[in-house]
Amino acid sequence: MRCSESTTYALVTAAYGEMRDDAGTIDLDYTVGKNGADAAFYIARAGEKALTAPDNGTFLAAFDKDIAIELQKIRRDLYFVHAAVLTRGEAVMLVAKPGGGKSTLTWALLHHGFGFLSDELAPVDLDTLEVHPYPRTLALKREPPGSYPLPRRTLMTSRSLHVRNVPGRIVKAPARLGAVVFLNYDRDASEPTIRRLTSAEAGARLYANALNPLAHTANGLDGAVRITAAHPCYELVSADLPATCALLARTLEPSE
Amino acid sequence: MSQNHPKRRSDVSARVVVDETVVLDLGAAQIHQLNTTASFIWNRCDGRCTVGEIADQLAESFDIDRETARQAVQETLRRFDELGLLDSARD
Repeated sequence: MRCSESTTYALVTAAYGEMRDDAGTIDLDYTVGKNGADAAFYIARAGEKALTAPDNGTFLAAFDKDIAIELQKIRRDLYFVHAAVLTRGEAVMLVAKPGGGKSTLTWALLHHGFGFLSDELAPVDLDTLEVHPYPRTLALKREPPGSYPLPRRTLMTSRSLHVRNVPGRIVKAPARLGAVVFLNYDRDASEPTIRRLTSAEAGARLYANALNPLAHTANGLDGAVRITAAHPCYELVSADLPATCALLARTLEPSE
Repeated sequence: MSQNHPKRRSDVSARVVVDETVVLDLGAAQIHQLNTTASFIWNRCDGRCTVGEIADQLAESFDIDRETARQAVQETLRRFDELGLLDSARD
């Protein structure tokens, strides 16, 4: 990624700094920037027409989307799921509808010994059942409840809050998947609940959150079923955040 | 739906997972989870079995009376039909 303009550089460093790696083979080549104090941001991928964005939040959202699509083209072998991924020994995939509280619960779980693999994208290797990291900065749509305040250095854009320096460990290597959790936020729930799903129900739910199923055999159905048949899958209805974290942590404890 | 010999659509994909089935209807952008009973019935919607035969097999396999089985089969087939999962050709 090339960027010679300070505002944009600060943004992309805050959002993608953890993904920085030694320069090796370049799969994606971007030039980003801003043409002046009041000008639109731009995102130019090698050989493509530049995208523009009127503000910092729109810029990061557009950049996220472009990267996610391009990664799916480059790694068609991986099964991409729209999910957050944490680690607790093995990887735990958190799947939710947009606005379903996935990032907020991820932020809270990072205070309870979980490691951070991804906030948004879960690329699964269907042969090894490992999840690849995508450590773009955790992005919240709104302030979390008071139990888990955001650090001072949180980057606030027009659309989201990007949390730097998360309390948990940032995992930068593939991790073996251990469980899949489908999250539902119920504002009226007095306490969190969790139930085990059958592999078939989980498979259907996972498929609905797959990003590139058509790149795989049987239009991706085999991939969804392979993932859910090999791991315990749960539906978690979240309520009070500390209680939700405690319930999930207890559920994921290895049985005696 | 074929009235007497229900037949699942050939252009939907299905995978059995333990005793249940996941059915992907890409044309309708729908994915369905069938429980054990619905999976049993789905597997017999081959265009050859009659509704009565499916009910008999269900009654025997699940150790339930024939009337209960017949109602379960009819209700399940009605749901399959509503979801557009069955061939619409009539016999």
